[in-house]
Amino acid sequence: MIQARSLEKAFGEFKAVNNISIEVKKGECFGLLGPNGAGKSTFIGMTYGNVQRTSGELSVFDLDPKTQSREIKKRLGVVTQDNALDESLSVYENMMIYCAFLGIPRSERKDRVDELLDYMNLSHKKMAPIQTLSGGMKRRLVFVRALLGKPELLILDEPTTGLDPAVRHLLWGKVKELHQAGTTILLTTHYMHEAEVLCDRLVIMNQGQVTAEGSPQQLIQQTAPGFVGIFGLEGKIKIQALAEKQEDWHLHEDSSGIYLRTQTLKDLTGIHSEHGLKPLQIRPSNLEDVFLKITGQELSNDA
Amino acid sequence: MTLSYFSEFFKLCFHITHRNWIVFKKDFIANISPTVADPALIMVSLGLGLGSYVTNVDGMTYMQFLAPGLTIATALFTSFFESSYGFYVRMTFENVFKAMLTTPMGVTEIVVGEMIWVGLKGAVMAVGVGVVLALFGLMQNPWLIPLLSVVGFIVAIPCGAMGLLSSAMVRNINQFQTVYSFVIAPLYFLSGIFFPIEEMAPAVRTLADFFPLIHGVRMAQAIFWQKEILSTFVIHGGILVVQSLVICAIAFNRIQKRLVT
Repeated sequence: MIQARSLEKAFGEFKAVNNISIEVKKGECFGLLGPNGAGKSTFIGMTYGNVQRTSGELSVFDLDPKTQSREIKKRLGVVTQDNALDESLSVYENMMIYCAFLGIPRSERKDRVDELLDYMNLSHKKMAPIQTLSGGMKRRLVFVRALLGKPELLILDEPTTGLDPAVRHLLWGKVKELHQAGTTILLTTHYMHEAEVLCDRLVIMNQGQVTAEGSPQQLIQQTAPGFVGIFGLEGKIKIQALAEKQEDWHLHEDSSGIYLRTQTLKDLTGIHSEHGLKPLQIRPSNLEDVFLKITGQELSNDA
Repeated sequence: MTLSYFSEFFKLCFHITHRNWIVFKKDFIANISPTVADPALIMVSLGLGLGSYVTNVDGMTYMQFLAPGLTIATALFTSFFESSYGFYVRMTFENVFKAMLTTPMGVTEIVVGEMIWVGLKGAVMAVGVGVVLALFGLMQNPWLIPLLSVVGFIVAIPCGAMGLLSSAMVRNINQFQTVYSFVIAPLYFLSGIFFPIEEMAPAVRTLADFFPLIHGVRMAQAIFWQKEILSTFVIHGGILVVQSLVICAIAFNRIQKRLVT
């Protein structure tokens, strides 16, 4: 569905996207994971022709976004990073005008909007001005807008950033439903957990490059398998001393505590029983640990 | 580039124009009041006030002299403000074009749609003000009022494009004040609306000729005073069309750089 080969986008000297090759297959949910400034949004902009590539090859639905962006844009929907709703219009007017942009026949517009507002639990706000909507409602409305044209490809650019957990889970549920119904999804996020919940396959991007690729489970198994214990900072010296003796133990520290990853759960419970250091939390390793291992830097913790 | 490509193109342009109309009619009174109130105020203060001292301008009363220019000035203001402040807010604060560009809409369609909108608005405003002034008996032949729509339209387009160009170039919304003070206000006062420009120094006249407003004023004067209409339309209309094309091309180029990277 999307094929990128040696794709590059430079802004002057700075390479926002630096030689990446990605393939998104029909029907899958594909994630672009990485910190702010990794090049995720630049890549997404290139897929529908709003960012012009500097070099390399890119095709979407076997069309070239540089010359055939209108044809491409008829077949995809984008949940933009900013809501970018038209504040001068009401909820209903916003959606009707987008129906017109998408070339949906006049007779079908009203039903389509009603159906999707209902799907996103926004029917009660149909006539409301945009300013009166909460952050979560605006986000849901942007989903409605992206779905108006029954897209084959749904692009979600940081769909849940800044939302409360309830709205986030609601949106995850909707994305899963759409995915199951056969929609191909391209998702960018800097929340590891979001990628783990939603994506069949993902790439980790950092500084414009792809640093790892695979399914969430593959990446965890290959790169950072095992379990992670989080200890209070007061135990730092003791744990460092213990970890030095073990080759397959990995330590990482941030302001909230010491993260120790070991191959088995027993290693972690052993630290408690034998050395009296009680972990604050023990969990299986996840994509966050993969990211730490690959880039040596931390990503968002608030997923 | 097939026929269906162009039919889609014009439909998309129309949707942009239509969107602006929906927004405009929501606040109809507020949106229309400056364009009606300002010329009325000037007619009363300058026309009646100053006009009692200035009794003969090129063989006319001052009111008669003032009427055509004021009609066309409304097209300047309505189009400039729409495509400067209005467009800029939509582009930067509300980011609406970013979302529009994820649909089949392109930058060309957005710019053409906006220009059609300011052109239509200019046409309607010019006719509206023209009707009021004709009721005061300031027009030789009121049957010529429909011609004012042509002038309003082709003045509003280059003036609107100047607004678009400044939207692409200012770094924050306050900088429109500078554009207004150094470009729009001088245009308004030095385009032969308030006094015969022939009296001015040649440098000022040449400068004024370079901008669109004066040519629209000439055309409106021809209509109001029913003098040499055809030749004025050919010469000054022609200049306006050329100016429109040049300013629109520059404005489009700048806006595209802002919206597509």
